[in-house]
Amino acid sequence: MTVDDQPLAPRDAEDALAAEYVLGVLALPDRIVVEKRIAREPAFAARVAAWEERLADLNDGFAPVAAPDLMPRIEARLFGQARRRRPLLGWLAGALTAAAVAVAVVAVLPVARPAQVVATLGAADATLRFEARHNGAELIVTRVAGAPAPAGQVQEVWIIAPDAAPVSLGLIADAPLTVAYPDAPKGWTIAVSLEPAGGSPTGAPTGPVLAAGTIEGV
Amino acid sequence: MTEDSVAELIARVAAQDRAAFRALYSATASKLLGVLLRILGTRSEAEDALQEVFTRVWLRAGRFDPEKGRGMTWLIALARNLAIDRLRARGPATTASDEGDALDAVADGAPSAEGRMIAKGEARRIAECFDTLEPDRAQAVRGAYLDGLSYLDLAERHGVPINTMRTWLRRSLLKLRECMDR
Repeated sequence: MTVDDQPLAPRDAEDALAAEYVLGVLALPDRIVVEKRIAREPAFAARVAAWEERLADLNDGFAPVAAPDLMPRIEARLFGQARRRRPLLGWLAGALTAAAVAVAVVAVLPVARPAQVVATLGAADATLRFEARHNGAELIVTRVAGAPAPAGQVQEVWIIAPDAAPVSLGLIADAPLTVAYPDAPKGWTIAVSLEPAGGSPTGAPTGPVLAAGTIEGV
Repeated sequence: MTEDSVAELIARVAAQDRAAFRALYSATASKLLGVLLRILGTRSEAEDALQEVFTRVWLRAGRFDPEKGRGMTWLIALARNLAIDRLRARGPATTASDEGDALDAVADGAPSAEGRMIAKGEARRIAECFDTLEPDRAQAVRGAYLDGLSYLDLAERHGVPINTMRTWLRRSLLKLRECMDR
């Protein structure tokens, strides 16, 4: 009746299959068959790549979502836990995120200095305030006014590099929170949020921000 | 593309450069998480998939060929394929379109693909080519690409038998190819 009812020419059928795969509409068994063909047939793989490029402009429709730093887990999976080398070099190269520094710095043994206050979290008259100090090797966050979170909740401390997702430094109860950290990067933010017991389940802050402050030059 | 910094990072990752691997994560994780969340619908699944995506990036970076496409396109294709495989493995009962708030938040926060493309100017071509398709078929192509809809989902959504939907979509895709390759 219409052109729709006629079978496709073989070359078009091949290309349509490649397009269906890229589009993602096929059922899983069909996708697995196509994936095997991509691995074995360069000509077919080229058809798939051409469709990826044709449809790539649609990628603008995917809105970015702030991602937590999952690199420590990814690296642990790929390289094992032993890999903790050259953290400062990497950080200075600007390649590392805050969490990577926090995790990677454990093996560094710089000379400890007296801890200096690098950030105050909360206004001077706020009922809940924190102070962050740095001693050349560690970041120490202390509650200087107010109380710990009520039962069933915790206060979680985050460090936030400019334009980056917050990275958890840990939970703070009565005692100060001490985290190995090579530097106190000027302009980065330290914040405390209210989270369910055990800390944020998502790796990103989920509760209200209780206090925040910017790291200032020492 | 005269400059493709993502492609350069992927090439360094292929040479086992771990600093480049971290830099690649910093540069692209948010976009890829956006892709995964849109298709998979829940934050926990999307973050789990993101780890798998970067694991695959490390292992497969050597297969990336900058002559054949842009770095970001390759990464998004890798992320979409993983997300769609996981979605299909889940079975037809739960597609991303059935899921709740996380998906809505992402969808609502983003201007439509067409709007963004027109705003961008440089990507007018696919938008123009979509105009050559019947509106419901163009919508089916976009829905499949962005939301990971299957033939089954599309057939239900458009109220046609699955074979009809397949015929429609294949014809539409070939028409799109004809327009874009012109």
